[in-house]
Amino acid sequence: MNQVSFVPHHPPPLPPVPAAFSGNRGEFFRLAARGAALELVTVGFYRFWLVTDIRRHLWSHTIVDGDAAEYTGRGKELLIGFLFALAILVPIYLAYFLISVEAERLKGFASFPLIVGFYAFGQFAIYRARRYRLTRTVWRGVRFWMDGSGWAYAWRAMLWGLLALLTLGLVFPWREAALERYKMQHSYYGELQGNFEGRGWELFKRCWWLWLLSPVAIMLFPLAPFFYAEFKAREWRWWLSGIRFGGVRLESTLPRTALYGLYWKVIGWFMLLSTAMGAYVGSCAFLVSKMSGADAGAAPDALAKSIPLLVMLGIGYLALILSLNVVMRLYLQRDVWAKVSASLQVHGIEAAADVAARGDPASALGEGFADGLDVAGF
Amino acid sequence: MDNVADTALAGSGSGPAIYFDGLSSRRRAVAVAFKEQLEISGEGLSPVSSPVSWAYSDIRRVDGGPGILRVACLSAPSLARLEIRDAAVVAELTSRCARLGENRLDGRGIAKIVGWSLAATISIVVVVLFAIPLAADRLTPLVPEAFEARLGDAAEVQVKTLFGERVCNGAAGQAAFSKLIDTLRKSTDLDIPVQPSVLATPIPNAFALPGGRVYLFNGLLAKAENPDEIAGVLAHELGHLKHRDSLRELIYNGGTSFLIGLLFGDVTGSSAVIFASRSLVTSSYSRDAEQNADTFAIELMQRLGRSPKAMGELLFRITGKEGNRSLSILASHPFTEDRLKRMSDADRPASGSPLLTDAEWSALKSICGPNKS
Repeated sequence: MNQVSFVPHHPPPLPPVPAAFSGNRGEFFRLAARGAALELVTVGFYRFWLVTDIRRHLWSHTIVDGDAAEYTGRGKELLIGFLFALAILVPIYLAYFLISVEAERLKGFASFPLIVGFYAFGQFAIYRARRYRLTRTVWRGVRFWMDGSGWAYAWRAMLWGLLALLTLGLVFPWREAALERYKMQHSYYGELQGNFEGRGWELFKRCWWLWLLSPVAIMLFPLAPFFYAEFKAREWRWWLSGIRFGGVRLESTLPRTALYGLYWKVIGWFMLLSTAMGAYVGSCAFLVSKMSGADAGAAPDALAKSIPLLVMLGIGYLALILSLNVVMRLYLQRDVWAKVSASLQVHGIEAAADVAARGDPASALGEGFADGLDVAGF
Repeated sequence: MDNVADTALAGSGSGPAIYFDGLSSRRRAVAVAFKEQLEISGEGLSPVSSPVSWAYSDIRRVDGGPGILRVACLSAPSLARLEIRDAAVVAELTSRCARLGENRLDGRGIAKIVGWSLAATISIVVVVLFAIPLAADRLTPLVPEAFEARLGDAAEVQVKTLFGERVCNGAAGQAAFSKLIDTLRKSTDLDIPVQPSVLATPIPNAFALPGGRVYLFNGLLAKAENPDEIAGVLAHELGHLKHRDSLRELIYNGGTSFLIGLLFGDVTGSSAVIFASRSLVTSSYSRDAEQNADTFAIELMQRLGRSPKAMGELLFRITGKEGNRSLSILASHPFTEDRLKRMSDADRPASGSPLLTDAEWSALKSICGPNKS
């Protein structure tokens, strides 16, 4: 702590340092657009590299106390993790099938409880995926890492999930706090142990009215995005403000309305692109019926059989999917990340000035499971 | 430090940088010198006296913030990082490290990914088109009949849940129905017991479940005009049982959904693509199965000396001409007109005795109570 000459602006006691996001939006757009095109060409296999590229971009432009973070994961690791996860999941799926045949014999749709088993597996995958991402995060030449057990986490998630189900979601804030506490207490930056000090009660106080009004929002469509954006902003702020690493304390000042614009822009793009798709379908159908007008009296049924029309529709569909992909990544990943990290204040950063390195990188198996089971979690 | 930078590369070649040794998060202001190797020297480095040196050929670029060249060294601790902001030093280091960018995914790397993906796609397509049908055909005889019966039990519970307990059991109708099934069964080499039932639903359909269950919907019975029509349909279902088609289709569908799902992974909206491509391949498979069941039915009816054409007429009465309405490659059954034509071609004048008497036929027709439709 004696060598502070290179951070000249900090007289003790140190004020919080803001985090910053310096990423260029155009650069991210090109990255996402190129990635979507490559995903199409490789029938989806490029996803491992695209996800890696996106994380590398976001991490390396996130700057805390003058130093940018670094993501050291690689696409190949994700691919290998995915293949390993498949090797494990295939026998499980088979066993699941055989067990469900037995269960169905006793009672119709009795295999439903087996889905619970998959839910547990999904929670396990969420924990291990987070561990992978965290151990690939490096700041100032020291990695973050995680211990703890994915299954212990899955148990907690299951019990809290059951409780949340029984109380119609009322205990959701406490569930979030407890699960995050487990994750963060098993997270480390070098030798600094993490902790989570956010309280369920705090989140409840901020969000209870959203929970109460959610049936209204579901019925009144234009309200739903506002509700969701409001909830997400409050949740982000609560989550970030609870994070600790040793003496380092995060705080977020994210305004509650910060995400309104982003969600509406996504909806706007979605409508615009759908309308464009509708117009495209209409003009394709018109064109084809004009061209084949020669063999007069062609029934409208014949249109559905036309191969050129189907090909054109297929191309339109793919274009729609790809552009929606880019829109989602641009607004919901990059822009949310930029807004959230710009809202971040770091207190007590001096505690991170000389932290000894510890911890090893974890395997990408967890991400593979999450991909194979199609679960998303953070 | 700026004045150091300005004069840096004049002669000996050195300049300022920030160094993280990968063992602690301590940020060190250091000087780098371009000698035989890259020499990093500054206060508090360990070992204390001698500078850290990195071979130029081991230096690789890693992600840094904007305007910063951040490098690592293969022979140093894996997370040791050197950060250079000074443009002149960046230029000098870049020119000396020939393999600086080797970490990055370049055009060739991407071409490799694309190439391997195409290879994987082709292999999956080949497996779906050739290997899985073969596996399904080979595996089906290996599955014990007891297991198939269990599958049938499980499916039956679901059928009961879906259609309720609306099994028709008018006594006279049931007797006629059993007689019809028995007559059909006796002229086949089907070695599993058949459990037929009529369900009271207006949908004109019939299906067979693994383990010998045959369901006839009352809707089909209502549309039928003579016993031969129903006999043909039942013979067709017995054909499915004989060929164990449900089991085969189960293996086939399971395999293809799994592989196609694997192929497309999580490209958003891919479920539609999966659905479309799956229905393409599986429907061609099921068309084959239907064709075979038709063959079975035609042969069975001929053996009984009854008209195979009757079933085709019943189907045609229900569906009408199909060719205009749907894409042939998407249909799970062959077009009705084609099936009718095949059955008409095989038609011969009746030589066997009628399968049911008039009284039995009308009892069967009203097995679900007085007929309205």
